[in-house]
Amino acid sequence: MTAMPDVLEHVEQAQAHQLDQPYILIIWNDPVNLMSYVSYVFRSYFGYSEEKAEKLMMQVHQDGRSVVATGNREKIESDVAAMHGFGLWATLSKEDAA
Amino acid sequence: MARAFKNTPRGFSATLEAAERQLMRGLFQDVITLLEPEVVPDEDPLWAMVGMDSNAHREDFGPPTDRATMRLLPDSNPDDADASLEFRRLSERGIRERKIGALREAALLMESGSILLSEQTAPRFAAAINDVRLVLAERLGLESEEDAERIHAQDDWSKAESVDEYLALVYNFVTWMQESLMQAMLKSL
Repeated sequence: MTAMPDVLEHVEQAQAHQLDQPYILIIWNDPVNLMSYVSYVFRSYFGYSEEKAEKLMMQVHQDGRSVVATGNREKIESDVAAMHGFGLWATLSKEDAA
Repeated sequence: MARAFKNTPRGFSATLEAAERQLMRGLFQDVITLLEPEVVPDEDPLWAMVGMDSNAHREDFGPPTDRATMRLLPDSNPDDADASLEFRRLSERGIRERKIGALREAALLMESGSILLSEQTAPRFAAAINDVRLVLAERLGLESEEDAERIHAQDDWSKAESVDEYLALVYNFVTWMQESLMQAMLKSL
């Protein structure tokens, strides 16, 4: 009688662990998107301060890419869809793979 | 001559000549044509209602074959083709429809010479203009910062002889309009 809940608990924990694995949202540089537009999107969509948005935008511009958000898979997937809506070149990865 | 966007108490305002508006309307329309999903006769309205593409469940569903469309709808996960495809199945239809909505709204705004954007309309207009620039850039082969500078240097309409020179001038005009709008929008954040 006591074995069952124990087993179930392990399975649930394993699944929960997989769902919680953090994902990152990467924005890639391209020569088309305006710096002002990228900053605007970072400020208006993510609610970042002017300083943080500028810093991330410059990172995209100079380093070719920047990690602009971290979260669970569902959140990051919805961020990627929003970024594609804005026309930014966004991808997602598992955090440890990046 | 067009007048750049500026902040006014009623919103972001700009002025465009009739020829410029006609040009912009044509560009918005071109991008709409690129993005409109293929209509299948037996489409299940329930799929469409939840923003999913019934094409997405066909065997031959894949990423867009046109390079400009691919730039508008890039792979979400470049290291994992299956994950990218799954993302497309779930999200692409909705992204296409939001883009088309913004582009249609932008095309309608070209009916009048004085353009006035509210706080709510402005981000959608900016995204529509950005999509136009992405498609023009793809057609122009704009891939590097050097390409961007070369194209940016073209500014004389009287000297435009080839299609590419004309497209470059159009690209610069649209860029100028977006930049003026972004400066106005950043000021009002």
